[in-house]
Amino acid sequence: MKIDTKHIAKLSRLSLTKKEEETFTPQMETILESASVLQEVDTSKIQPMKTRIPFKELREDIPERSLKQEEVIRNAPHSENGYIRVYGEIFGGIEES
Amino acid sequence: MLEKQVHTNLENKYDLIVGLEIHVQTNTSSKMFCSCPTGYFQEEPNTHVCPVCLGLPGALPIPNKRAIELCILMGLALNCDIDNEIHFDRKHYFYPDLPKGYQISQYKRPICSDGYIETTSGTRIDIERIHQEEDVAKSTHHVEKTTGREYSLIDYNKSGVSLIEIVTKPCIRTAKDAKDFATEIRKIARYLGISDADMEKGQMRCEPNISLQEKDKWEYKDGQILPIGDYKLNPKVEIKNIGSITAVEKSIQYEVKRLTKELDEGKEIKQQTRGWNAEKNITEYQRTKETADDYRYMPEPDIPVIEVSDADVERISEELVELPVERMKRYIRELGLSEYSAEVISSSRESAEYFEKLYERLKKDLEEKEAALEASNWLMGPVFAIGNLDVGIEDLALLILAFKKGRITKNKAEELLNQSVKENKDLSKELEEVIRQKENLINNLDEIVREVIKKNTKAVEDYRGGKQATLGFLVGQVMQATKGAADPNEVRDILIRELKE
Repeated sequence: MKIDTKHIAKLSRLSLTKKEEETFTPQMETILESASVLQEVDTSKIQPMKTRIPFKELREDIPERSLKQEEVIRNAPHSENGYIRVYGEIFGGIEES
Repeated sequence: MLEKQVHTNLENKYDLIVGLEIHVQTNTSSKMFCSCPTGYFQEEPNTHVCPVCLGLPGALPIPNKRAIELCILMGLALNCDIDNEIHFDRKHYFYPDLPKGYQISQYKRPICSDGYIETTSGTRIDIERIHQEEDVAKSTHHVEKTTGREYSLIDYNKSGVSLIEIVTKPCIRTAKDAKDFATEIRKIARYLGISDADMEKGQMRCEPNISLQEKDKWEYKDGQILPIGDYKLNPKVEIKNIGSITAVEKSIQYEVKRLTKELDEGKEIKQQTRGWNAEKNITEYQRTKETADDYRYMPEPDIPVIEVSDADVERISEELVELPVERMKRYIRELGLSEYSAEVISSSRESAEYFEKLYERLKKDLEEKEAALEASNWLMGPVFAIGNLDVGIEDLALLILAFKKGRITKNKAEELLNQSVKENKDLSKELEEVIRQKENLINNLDEIVREVIKKNTKAVEDYRGGKQATLGFLVGQVMQATKGAADPNEVRDILIRELKE
């Protein structure tokens, strides 16, 4: 099983060195191969295991109190005027909804 | 039809193929998967958030019933099939506005599929699907002055707000049809209370997918564009960042020009996302698009399958009303309104309902067509000029009828209407008063005429001396004395009679 480690790393916003790529690629291929045993099971007649709920039991549209701004900001390493501040290579090349 | 011909004449080598994706924030009080309040406009940042919409570990999504009802309602309005099971999926990508690292959306089984609508110009647009998802946070990008380092500020208030995505089939052939379709979606969203659909506030976002294909080298079959023979289809360009309905049309027109040039120059077109720049009226390259595989879709394990019964759909369908295009057509067909008036009046539910109430009331005293025409003229003229629909139907009807019966002039009627709105007076009382005064004046018309003759001895002499034109002056004097209430022809007759004596 072939795996494009570079592409997967890019999708996860990870930058890998050439050496890391070389180390991880065969490891990931081995993982995929062991897991691929599952592909051999015939599931064509089996429904996905999902719980079910009738529509009328869904949550009613009633707003409730949110967290306080201080509580939200407390876990963020950086913030500014109530906003959460982020840095990094995570931008660019990626689809927003 | 005309539009299409114009287009083909301009670009006779290529056909324009457009599909539209429209995101609409639906009008719920709480978010899609948590109970945080939705109204974030101009609110303090990060005050409408909780562990669910912040993506904190262990938080579980709980779907909002009303949101799904609104999604189904839109599906019904667009003649879609409604699935009897709702399945949510995770769409993965990493971006700071998406705190969980995935968006809860729907992949293979959207709630609504295979619909269509007709635009005001009569073009049918096929709907591929409408699915339910959640909005992302709002981020703004900055540069640190001292270090030059780039950073972003994130406000999660918008994160998790209910969002539906409407996807058309690639069946749109002109920029105008794309604009008309977006306009129709906005009207329907407002008619049904699904959303305020204000594009400037980001409550509605349009993303056209555009490609140019060589003439006679492709066909539209089963909702898809397929190549004929060994023709290779040109890739699509997706446009984002469109902030108004007009920009939908303009950006497509721009892309037609740009792509035509690229193709003529023999350049290879890459599948890409471009952003609309409203200041420069151009699109700009943003990025190459990720494919569906890159999103690593998987079933959302935290939300059970939701079973939708026929009774549920039936109950939701009770919220449907006659939609704008149907109304427009009925106004033209049954009430004889012009296409333009019918389109304007039907464009909002409020004005359509006001029109219909006014028409029903006027119909009691006027012929049907006349009642419709007066209702339409008064609504589109003086009432729209006021800027709201607060004028009482009965008051306005009495005013219109007084004008129709010749009891007051049109100018006077409009003046009364504006005055009563401006000074917050009771229109019917004002009208009664004006009519009473006018009748008093008219009852005393002979006396007023005699008074005018007495006061204008010079003019009277001139008239008697053979200067016929002076009569006009005297009529004017009487009209002035009656504040324009008298009938000038009648005044003329009385003057002639009185001047003979």
